[in-house]
Amino acid sequence: MEKIESSSRKDLLGFQRTTRTPCPSSSSPNNSRSRSQTEQGAGTSADPISDVPNFLGTCPDMCPAKERAQRERLRDLSVFERLNGNPGKTSPSLAVKKFCRTISTNQVHASDLRPPSVLQNTLKYLLNLVESSDHPFEAVHDFIFDRTRSIRQDLSMQNIVDNRAIYMYEQMIEFHILSHQKLSRCGSKTDISSLYHLNMEQLMKCLLSLLDVYSINRISNFISKKEAEFHSFYVLLHLGCKIPTMGNSLSVWFRQLPFPVLHSKEMQFCRTILRYFRMGDYKRFFSTTASEATHLQLCLLEPLLNEVRAQAISYINYSGYKLHPYPLLHLSNILMIEERELELLCYECGLKIVTDEAGCKLLPAKQVFSLPKSGFQSCGLRKIEKSQRL
Amino acid sequence: MEALYTVTREIRVLAEMADRDLASSGKTPEKLKGAGSFLMKVFGALAGKGPKRVGALYVTCQLFKVYFKLGTVHLCRSVIRSIETARIFDFEEFPTRDKVTYMYYTGRLEVLNENFIAADQKLMYALLHCNRRYEANIRMILKYLIPVKLSIGILPKMWLIEKCNLIEYADVIKALIRGDVRLLRRALQEHEDQFLRSGVYLVLEKLELQVYQRLVKKIYIIQKQKDASKAHQIKLEQIVKALRWLEVDMDADEVECMMSILIYKNLMKGYFAHKNKVVVLSKQDPFPKLKGKPVNP
Repeated sequence: MEKIESSSRKDLLGFQRTTRTPCPSSSSPNNSRSRSQTEQGAGTSADPISDVPNFLGTCPDMCPAKERAQRERLRDLSVFERLNGNPGKTSPSLAVKKFCRTISTNQVHASDLRPPSVLQNTLKYLLNLVESSDHPFEAVHDFIFDRTRSIRQDLSMQNIVDNRAIYMYEQMIEFHILSHQKLSRCGSKTDISSLYHLNMEQLMKCLLSLLDVYSINRISNFISKKEAEFHSFYVLLHLGCKIPTMGNSLSVWFRQLPFPVLHSKEMQFCRTILRYFRMGDYKRFFSTTASEATHLQLCLLEPLLNEVRAQAISYINYSGYKLHPYPLLHLSNILMIEERELELLCYECGLKIVTDEAGCKLLPAKQVFSLPKSGFQSCGLRKIEKSQRL
Repeated sequence: MEALYTVTREIRVLAEMADRDLASSGKTPEKLKGAGSFLMKVFGALAGKGPKRVGALYVTCQLFKVYFKLGTVHLCRSVIRSIETARIFDFEEFPTRDKVTYMYYTGRLEVLNENFIAADQKLMYALLHCNRRYEANIRMILKYLIPVKLSIGILPKMWLIEKCNLIEYADVIKALIRGDVRLLRRALQEHEDQFLRSGVYLVLEKLELQVYQRLVKKIYIIQKQKDASKAHQIKLEQIVKALRWLEVDMDADEVECMMSILIYKNLMKGYFAHKNKVVVLSKQDPFPKLKGKPVNP
């Protein structure tokens, strides 16, 4: 494997260098920032009273040297971290710090944590790996999933909440959203299914962190387009209510939402789509999604589309006239899916399709409908060709 | 016991004031959160076999106020479980004032979770046991009880709306009576801030299905007056026209979609014939009333 050069560690142009530390006792001399390179000194300088340490990390590499040596010894190196494929050898330009489940602030030394500029370069390296690697997506995802989680851990432990944090959170969320779409298309294999749910869990946690950081940085009533879009993801993740970690309802969340976010184009789209979803209005759900969703919103919604389609099919099956089967082509236009894909979905719901004398496929009503046991295969929106438009 | 009440209430009030000061000076408001932790300890101390346990419900209500203010209402769950399952607590032992407050807050939680039957029971309890002289409290209860009643198909009288100064609900109720989809949307838009802040906005949005049901019913009644023998067949085009008159632009596919939903959720009995673009209504009770039950999911 070709060795990858370390990228420049200078802060990206235009980014603030300051770290905002809203610790209430920030004026206390005990919280003075320690510049000491010695591990012991930096460790003991942490304020035992405050849960939020006030020091900056000093690790210059993507992975602390100590961890690298330990993982070499234990042969705990991902395929992406092995020097020339050697499972017992890595390098500063390959190894990336792992997420640590049991860590606490009292055990952390400054040399264990990467400062903002190093975190930015690490993230850049990881996201580049998604594009360049020729390994299967699940393997790449698994690695980056863990290593981005570690980046968030370093951000949190240093209480970094400025524009650099915002930019990094946004990029990591984008990674999780694109993974959300890709993993849902992998079908209903058991291992992929668990990856899918873990990814959604981390997506939500990362999003909640970002929304907190947005809140801290909000100065005026100005809301950027990006901030509005990322707020909208929170609503979209509630469609289908598949996230067990959510304790509060959307109604509680909407209460504290700033006016400019509430009335942004991105959030208005989400509120509209939420209303159609909750009513079961499949026709306007699809037409509105097709005409108004951003690319990332569409990626986030894609695994949900077949669920909405199945609900539409169950409505038509229940409410339709028995002697007039429903034309499948017409329905496929409404639900924005290829006719043959729709036919497959009907079969998965236990419904038969008949063909008339003219060769048109029809869906008879009043059949016994059942939801697919293995969940829904993901299928995106099909753009309607002009020639097919009614 | 009176001293306990005073201390627990003052701690919450002072914490709220402190958080406002912290927030306005750019610092992290965290005193109310700390007050919540402290009140949990007080609750734990009271939850014993001693006579002081009758004070536990008061502390519970103070905790509710903290959690609702912080937006962490899911934390109410563990306290409710203690009150309702622990054998040491007999609900009837608690003072009426505290029971009313408790039912008000747990009723609000049921509204948030859209459990309308339970919400109705709890909020009705609070309303029936609330002291008549406390008009502000009655208004607060009705603010949540009205959306609940509407969701189970019960419309309050307009004089009640006016008497209790709940004017923001007037147009919502009119929209339901008239089958006016446009009026519903306008009413929600006009009072959006109020409805979002109280947490009933999403509940009120769902009333749209009942408004559509009412609209189709009105068309049905008009057709019945013209020709009783054909009343049960309504052309989709007829509904499209009625909606256009209300300045709601929907095509035949959208109307058909809405009809299939109303039939599926048993707000309407019958079937639609796609080929003929007609809704055929049942001759027996084509528009069943909700009778105190929510619309089917």
